[in-house]
Amino acid sequence: MQDRLHILEDLNMLYIRQMALSLEDTELQRKLDHEIRMREGACKLLAACSQREQALEATKSLLVCNSRILSYMGELQRRKEAQVLGKTGRRPSDSGPPAERSPCRGRVCISDLRIPLMWKDTEYFKNKGDLHRWAVFLLLQLGEHIQDTEMILVDRTLTDISFQSNVLFTEAGPDFELRLELYGACVEEEGALAGAPKRLATKLSSSLGRSSGRRVRASLESAGGSGSSPILLPTPAVGGPRYHLLAHTTLTLAAVQDGFRTHDLTLTSHEENPAWLPLYGSVCCRLVAQPLCMTQPTASGTLRVQQAGELQDWARVHGVLKGTNLFCYRQPEDADTGEEPLFTIAINKETRVRAGELDHAAGQPFTLSISNRYGEDEVTHTLQTESRGALHSWMEALWQLFFDMSQWKQCCDEIMKIETPAPRKPPQVLAKQGSLYHEMAIEPLDDIAAVTDILAQREGTRLETPPPWLAMFTEQPALPTPCSPASVAPAPARTHPMPWGRPRTFSLDAVPPDHSPGASRSVAPLPQQPSPRSRGLFSKGPSRTWLQSPV
Amino acid sequence: MLLQGHQLRDGCVQPGQQRVEIHKLRQGENLILGFSIGGGIDQDPSQNPFSEDKTDKGIYVTRVSEGGPAEIAGLQIGDKIMQVNGWDMTMVTHDQARKRLTKRSEEVVRLLVTRQSLQKAVQQSMLS
Repeated sequence: MQDRLHILEDLNMLYIRQMALSLEDTELQRKLDHEIRMREGACKLLAACSQREQALEATKSLLVCNSRILSYMGELQRRKEAQVLGKTGRRPSDSGPPAERSPCRGRVCISDLRIPLMWKDTEYFKNKGDLHRWAVFLLLQLGEHIQDTEMILVDRTLTDISFQSNVLFTEAGPDFELRLELYGACVEEEGALAGAPKRLATKLSSSLGRSSGRRVRASLESAGGSGSSPILLPTPAVGGPRYHLLAHTTLTLAAVQDGFRTHDLTLTSHEENPAWLPLYGSVCCRLVAQPLCMTQPTASGTLRVQQAGELQDWARVHGVLKGTNLFCYRQPEDADTGEEPLFTIAINKETRVRAGELDHAAGQPFTLSISNRYGEDEVTHTLQTESRGALHSWMEALWQLFFDMSQWKQCCDEIMKIETPAPRKPPQVLAKQGSLYHEMAIEPLDDIAAVTDILAQREGTRLETPPPWLAMFTEQPALPTPCSPASVAPAPARTHPMPWGRPRTFSLDAVPPDHSPGASRSVAPLPQQPSPRSRGLFSKGPSRTWLQSPV
Repeated sequence: MLLQGHQLRDGCVQPGQQRVEIHKLRQGENLILGFSIGGGIDQDPSQNPFSEDKTDKGIYVTRVSEGGPAEIAGLQIGDKIMQVNGWDMTMVTHDQARKRLTKRSEEVVRLLVTRQSLQKAVQQSMLS
């Protein structure tokens, strides 16, 4: 029986390879080959595993490889179909009416994933026997790309499942659908299958053999898209650990925000399932998107700008359209060397752009004007391009930018920061992670300070007084000295737990508040060195300072 | 194509606006104006104590040195700077604003500012 399954799988692989070769799609082919090899390695590793935890890791790798192979296969099929039907996907340059505008691609990153758990009292207080443990991981799919998080071991001392991974997808469109699936497996051997009568076992394996082919075909059809079927193809139980789909959800552009948000999870397993975990029903994460139009220049060239001022001279500048700004540099080299532009014209959803002759600019051809309104005033910049062709391409770039802004919506307000995903740490043995439950004392008094105290102790002290000598460099009154009671003192190490009421879990919207009792908010922030210019990907996000400079 | 709104030109100061001409003072190697600015499109506008609209990211005068060139020219604390020598100051970063005011080649800067007291007076006169 196992042999039949193996042959079927090998045939599948062969078929896949042939198709990839015939399409001459080298990139996809390379990815497929890589996954097939990884899969073979994972199979061998699984066979050689002796420890349950190693087997869990190997099974996870195997499952991820399988799902990637299926997804790439689905993509290959689609491309092959398109090729056969004559649609190459590339727009011929001089054909009929202009093709529909398509929005720019973007990078989508999901990080700080946290899934709260809700243990029942009975589970928590059960002290007999060993700790029941689970291995969980998340699978994320966007388009045909599949990524997984690290595997985490969970037991009843954890209040949340927190994943450290940052997952980045690079080729997303504004209509992306990011499917998130939580898989879990028991760390202990599943008693059910091991104790099944022999007849039942053979029946199970034989029926799997017949239906696996059907399942493969079904998965092929739905692979690549998000569909309603789970991303993973369940492997026939070969004695290795079995992962079950515990919950899933799909996130779209509406969920993107430069901050933490909580989303609902659809729970899919029941209590009878051995891998069932008491999930609270939400997932908290930070989902950001960086459209390419915000981080890459979309147009550049020589412009002559009419100065709004005393002399209505035309200044010759090198304009670079990037994100929601048109930067005008003195010379083209300035854009690369990091020089400050001469000035910047904002381009946002409310900006109005017009091409053509303007009343007062009679005789000046190839002009366009950009108007911004702020408060009651309107400022219009008039720009002259070098030729009709240049005017056309500037207008085209601006229309594309407006289209992208309308599609990517909130992602174009400001550049959202994406951190490069750190290299994955090797899976750790479950250390006893501190849990809020253990640290709580159940007392009648309600004291918010006690909760923040515990959080502060866990995070370590991050509160600092600005040194008094800094006052010399500011025009403000001297800061309160460290001796004064108004200054911030580091959280004292309390040896006795403060009494307070009902046990509290982490707020679902994360990031422990930075409570600084006594921090004087009335003092204006200190002037700093000119901050490094935020270019490209690593923008600082909304500024919290209001600098003052003497001139 | 019609030009909507109006474009600010020389000689066409709007009601509620004021022209201030400051002659810089030489102090050693530097030319100083004698005031401080706050604001900018890269700053947090909610911390601006002078603006009525807390989303206004414009450049404001936060301090005027006593007896300095700015005070002599009539600049007041709380003024919002709209233009400097014809260059727009409403859509600039803090550092860009500072640089526009401290150009070594310019000994005189002509500012176009709005002042809340002036604006309010204009509004009241329009209503009556």
